[in-house]
Amino acid sequence: MADNDAHIRRAILKWVVLGVFGVIGFRVAYIQLVDTKYKRLAAGNVLRYEVQYAPRGEVVDRNGEFLVQSKECYDLMVIHRDIGKQGFDTVRFCNIVGITKEKLVAALRNARMRPRAPMLIANYVSKEVKLRFEECNFPGFYTVYRTVRQYPRKIGGNLLGYVGEVNADIIKRNPEYSAGDYIGMSGVEAAYEDELRGKDGVKILEVDTHGAIKGSYMNGAFDSLPIPGRMLTCTIDARLQAFAEELMEGKVGAVVAIEPSTGEILVMASSPTYDPDELVGRERGNNYMAMLYNNRQPLFNRAVKAKYPPGSTFKLVQGLIGMQEGVLRPSDTHPCHDGYHVGRISQKCHSHYSPLDLRSAVAQSCNAYFCYVFRDIIENRKYGSVKKGLEVWGEYVRSFGFGRKLESDFLGEGGGTVPTRELYDKRYRNSWNGLTVLSLSIGQGELGCTPMQMANLAATIANRGYYYIPHIVKAVEGRDSLDSRFYEKHYTNVDPRHFEPIVEGMWKGVNIPGAGTSSQAMLPGLDVCGKTGTAQNPHGQDHSTFLSFAPKDNPRIAISVYVENGGFGAAAALPIASLIEEFYLTDTITRPKMLENVKNMQIYYPYYAKKR
Amino acid sequence: MPLFEGVDRIAVILYLLLVAAGMVCITSASYNDSIEEVFSFKHFYMKQVIWIGAAFGTALFILLLDSRYYHMYAYYAYAAGILLIAGTLVLPEKIAPVVNGAKAWYKFSESVRIQPVEFAKIATALAVARIMSNYSFSIKRIGDLFRVGLIIMLPMAIIVLQNDTGSGVVLCSFLFVLYREGLNKWICIPILMVAALFISSFLFTPLFLLSLLVLIFTISDAMMIGAWREHIVFLASVGVATLALYTLSLLLWDRALSAYVCMLIVMIAAVVVVALLAVKKNIASIFLTLALFVGSMIFVPTTDIIFESILKPHQRERILSFLGIVSDPSGADYNVNQSKIAIGSGGLFGKGFMQGTQIKYNFVPEKHTDFIFCTVGEEWGFVGAALVLGLLCALILRLMKIGERQQEPFSRIYSYCVASILLFHVLVNVGMTIGLMPVMGIPLPFMSYGGSSLVAFTILVFIAIRLDASPRKGLSEW
Repeated sequence: MADNDAHIRRAILKWVVLGVFGVIGFRVAYIQLVDTKYKRLAAGNVLRYEVQYAPRGEVVDRNGEFLVQSKECYDLMVIHRDIGKQGFDTVRFCNIVGITKEKLVAALRNARMRPRAPMLIANYVSKEVKLRFEECNFPGFYTVYRTVRQYPRKIGGNLLGYVGEVNADIIKRNPEYSAGDYIGMSGVEAAYEDELRGKDGVKILEVDTHGAIKGSYMNGAFDSLPIPGRMLTCTIDARLQAFAEELMEGKVGAVVAIEPSTGEILVMASSPTYDPDELVGRERGNNYMAMLYNNRQPLFNRAVKAKYPPGSTFKLVQGLIGMQEGVLRPSDTHPCHDGYHVGRISQKCHSHYSPLDLRSAVAQSCNAYFCYVFRDIIENRKYGSVKKGLEVWGEYVRSFGFGRKLESDFLGEGGGTVPTRELYDKRYRNSWNGLTVLSLSIGQGELGCTPMQMANLAATIANRGYYYIPHIVKAVEGRDSLDSRFYEKHYTNVDPRHFEPIVEGMWKGVNIPGAGTSSQAMLPGLDVCGKTGTAQNPHGQDHSTFLSFAPKDNPRIAISVYVENGGFGAAAALPIASLIEEFYLTDTITRPKMLENVKNMQIYYPYYAKKR
Repeated sequence: MPLFEGVDRIAVILYLLLVAAGMVCITSASYNDSIEEVFSFKHFYMKQVIWIGAAFGTALFILLLDSRYYHMYAYYAYAAGILLIAGTLVLPEKIAPVVNGAKAWYKFSESVRIQPVEFAKIATALAVARIMSNYSFSIKRIGDLFRVGLIIMLPMAIIVLQNDTGSGVVLCSFLFVLYREGLNKWICIPILMVAALFISSFLFTPLFLLSLLVLIFTISDAMMIGAWREHIVFLASVGVATLALYTLSLLLWDRALSAYVCMLIVMIAAVVVVALLAVKKNIASIFLTLALFVGSMIFVPTTDIIFESILKPHQRERILSFLGIVSDPSGADYNVNQSKIAIGSGGLFGKGFMQGTQIKYNFVPEKHTDFIFCTVGEEWGFVGAALVLGLLCALILRLMKIGERQQEPFSRIYSYCVASILLFHVLVNVGMTIGLMPVMGIPLPFMSYGGSSLVAFTILVFIAIRLDASPRKGLSEW
């Protein structure tokens, strides 16, 4: 072999060795220094993030009684990879946990898609089941502590709202939530979600290749403890709320009661209601669907969403606007001959003496009187035209909180309707006058108000000219005060001095026998003021409504009751309101017969019987 | 001290450093906190201490022996080696149990097992050195070549029969030695090419493979001919042309051509152009390169086609498992993946001694034996990995250098045998942990846990060192 050849071969072999190590070295450098995905994957292998769910804040009523409590419960999770090849006794598993085999199989199939991730098998596992389950030691399965809602008084379904698991849609809108989190879906739960939610903690654990936990990561340096949600003190009076719901049973409508001096909502009952416990736990879905397709719509919170014609209770507003506009003095009298008749147009009225002044007209709920007042307002010469007059009137009405949201802390509040000039211009092709819109004078026609707006009117009159925005929460744990808007007096555009004659009229209607429509609401020594309303209803029996506050001086409660198809205001709404007032102010019921009548009152609703 | 006179210190130091590094990594990888006592011999690392002791003792013994003995008893050693490995096949399971599917072990007690294949490598190396150093031997003669081939193939066949393919393939590394001793390169290159292409066609995408081929051929051609500038220009123009064609296809034909097809078209054109230029300039040697290139371009897709369409699934599986590539598809993939994650997550400086989560929590299988390099990569980072690779590379180059300075062909050939066995082990073992090579169960020299492999590699290296020191007489002389 030539020396030269050997030399070349030596060199080539040396380069082969260097080449081999070069390739290996580059590859090692690439995966260690350039490609960062391996670090992530290593962390993914060894780290398990265990969410420490924060207990949701509890809710108490104004007297400290629990409305919503948190109950211990568990989520049953699985890491599919850790189940083991030999499997487990599914029948025994289902018996202990209380789920069907089909559900287990479906959940496991789902879990198999992501074998390393913790996947939910069953939720709302009670503590007892959890203890039994842990004794059996199924590999791969474990439980996670959570809390669910529990309602000791079983009241205020729509008021308190319910909590549900976040769906993909919610997560998209609120990225701070992740799958498996609970969120307030309606009512107080939704309105105060941020306060109630708390902050979930996380525990970072190290696991080995079999999924066995080996200890905490970095001695827990990156762990965090869950911060429980804040406790809410509701303005609601639980006993009163329960009483109102009891009285409303069998009727469709709403009761809203407000403490006039603060705007705090004492009662917010929407009927029919439901037991809030039905929307907790595994049966929630079924119960929810049943309620969704219930014709009477128990999930519809009528207290803040329904648009009802206020009927005669609206005459109070007409009187106030009339006085402010200077077209009405309390002593002015108008005649009434079973109604108000102009040409072919007429507003009927019941029989009473004639003519009457403002106070008596309020007490007697005279239709004719307020037709005069309303026409005087909108046909006032200084505005040139009825259309301009209606605009001025609309401004006043809105200043009472009608036709717009009151901006309470309650979500999903409806705004009601106050008709505008444009509406009539469109509907009547610009040709309309005071007579066309005459039904507005007695709270009919295009007017729509929520029961909360009507209760707010009662509170405004009780306060003689101003209101506090009605709100449902009195205090949040750890906060000194609520939003400042709840502490501001909101004056209407009517001067407070004009309210006294109206109040007197309301008082007269209750307390002078034979002088008004509301005498049944009389409570000795409590100086109840009230106004009935009977709203015509094209779909059947008239709606019954009653607006009241008591006592006359330093009022403590303002209330509005609306009973769909309840007939005369004095028939259904008045006794309900009166009983609630009595119960709130004196803690007693002195009229058991009235109570029994109300409870036995089961109103037939042809409208809700229809299949939709 | 007369005992160490003439001993190559650098090689010994490199050896000691590697054993020490192995000890550190085995300790970390095999520490088991369920065994309370730190120095209990239930721990693998404590057993390794014993093995290291045994290895040092053996090394000392080898240095004491007269160097002539190795030449003298080479064939006897070979015969003994063959008997040893053949013994595992015929002896009953009680003495020769099946471990990990391979019947390649002798069992002395519950904890002491010997893998004779490690020693058969030494015997084969000695026999190859002996026959090739024979005065009348010429590698250019077919008959002589055939005899060397037989010496290599015999143990290889037995080892493969043991179902220990990985160790059997190690003997292929003797090609390295044969080349050094003047084997015609036109035998070496095609064998290497076919082997490399066959393995890489399973590991890489066609595009990557084609680019690799182009790169390798251009560079090797440049190494043969010189003219580096022209070759770099060629490479650059191929790259630019492929990119241009791909962009054009994106714009005009809406992705009608994949990048692979573009490159193929460019290469076919390039081959024609190069051939024409070669004819014009009368450079004959290019044609060989071109022929090889075209051959391998055809070979790559055909392996796939043969493999996918002609062979039946169970045949395919058999071939793959013979190659040791996927005996258990999910399992092998999982292991290599975890191994890559371990090394990749080490970063520059690593996670520190006993801090590797992939190692500590058993995500990496065989982390103290075949996958010991994962422990290096994860706990000591790129710095540690580069250090270990550097030591191994230095030792191999040192052994080659030792070989070159020998007067005796026997010593030179033996040194090259050792270097080639080490190189192959490192390439396959480390390559496997970083996903460059299929998974074959062979250890990382000096570092993997295991008495057989440590003692065998020690013998392998120290015989070379002893031969190098041979002017000094053996024990009997002083």
